[in-house]
Amino acid sequence: MIIAISSTKSKNKHPMKQTLVFITALICTHLLSAQIYLAKESEISFFSATPMENISAINKAAKPILNTATGDVQVKIVMQAFQFEKPLMQEHFNENYVESDKYPDAIYKGKINEQVDYLKDGTTKVTVAGKLKMHGVEKECNFGGTVTVKGQQILLETKFKIHIADYNIKIPSLVVKNIAEDIDVTVNALLEPFKK
Amino acid sequence: MRLKIFLLLLLVCEYPSFSFAQDLMSILDSVQKPAGHEKVFATFKDSKVINAQSTETVKKRCLDFNISHRFGSMGVESGGGPHTLYGWDAISDVRFSFDYGITDNITIGIARNKRLENIDGTLKWRFLEQTADNHIPVSVAFYGNSAITPMAKSSFYLGTVNVSPKITDRIAYVSQLIIARKFTRYFSFEILPTYQHRNFVKALVNSYNGKEESNDLFALGAAMRLKLTRRMAILIDYFHVFSDYRKNNPVTPYYDPLAVGIEIETGGHVFHINVTNALGIIENDFIPNTTDSWTKGG
Repeated sequence: MIIAISSTKSKNKHPMKQTLVFITALICTHLLSAQIYLAKESEISFFSATPMENISAINKAAKPILNTATGDVQVKIVMQAFQFEKPLMQEHFNENYVESDKYPDAIYKGKINEQVDYLKDGTTKVTVAGKLKMHGVEKECNFGGTVTVKGQQILLETKFKIHIADYNIKIPSLVVKNIAEDIDVTVNALLEPFKK
Repeated sequence: MRLKIFLLLLLVCEYPSFSFAQDLMSILDSVQKPAGHEKVFATFKDSKVINAQSTETVKKRCLDFNISHRFGSMGVESGGGPHTLYGWDAISDVRFSFDYGITDNITIGIARNKRLENIDGTLKWRFLEQTADNHIPVSVAFYGNSAITPMAKSSFYLGTVNVSPKITDRIAYVSQLIIARKFTRYFSFEILPTYQHRNFVKALVNSYNGKEESNDLFALGAAMRLKLTRRMAILIDYFHVFSDYRKNNPVTPYYDPLAVGIEIETGGHVFHINVTNALGIIENDFIPNTTDSWTKGG
């Protein structure tokens, strides 16, 4: 946007000034692309706790992405990348619960509500508002977390609950005591400036 | 002027990265490539369909301990009926097996069977796995089973004369290719070209066509799983045994083993209710020795 405006403004009369405008514009675009942070490594895990059985799975393949200028944060989670302790659990999870052949990934699109100073080291408590689309169902999903800035790196941490019935994931009555209605989700992601 | 063109060029070069930055999801799609050749899962739910092996294996470093039973014949004509509670009391085969996954694709096992007192060792090696994008359209596995029977000499050689007993007589081998495809999330199908070799067979002759019993047998199996609902499926498997000796045999009638089952998935456990005319559990037994018929309540 900045570029478009500056280039229409400039006339041939002041070549030096025009050059300056262009250079400024270019620096601006560089700054803009530096506003995108992409996960270098991340861990998304969930935990279902019942008196009968604890079930947990961890996914290290997802890459949360953050636009520090707008606060937009998004992630695409490949369901088949969830690793379970027991391989059979993983098969059941994919085949019967999240049906990952039909719905291969879950997508979260949200926005950090607070203003965070990404140029200053430190930890900020934030809230995120957005939508999670999983198993073909899109639902509002808001949670709190922290943003930690350390030099060029940003650490995102959050923990929240998902009510699985909201996503049309049915639990057969026989195992209803083994699977919690609300699943704890934990996300840790270390982000670095995105270079194309 | 030249400078201006240069700057414009620079601008054009820079522009894509600028507009690119707007859509986070498109960046994600570019860095998080679709996983590519995603493997198809749950072609079948177990390493066996019913009688037939499937391309499923025991997962890496898992031990699968199985106690399998074949109950007796249900029909009166085949020795069943109410006095055995339709076969319930007359267990024909019991198998204890230990199968271990060396890798996700290689399973080895050892087992003991009631019928023929067979002790067998198995190897299954799945060397191809079907992918969701059809890069590999089928899963293919090799299955081998060697069985040795420690039966008493008198019963092993019953009815034979002039034999010099050797320990190798008691060994039988099955080699099988399992070629499976999950066509849709509701339908899986496989074929099983099978070769069986028994080191020793009795010199029996089919009096109807004069054909002799042979050491080598070829069979072609087929199996399918059809999911009716998310949690219930029908299983069928069938083997045709190519053997002239077994055709219209008036003394010992032979039949092709056919099995039908219902699979109920409870989200953690899988239950199978199966019916078959094969009394033996392992290939080395049910391929040469199925003498019960569905029509007679075998």
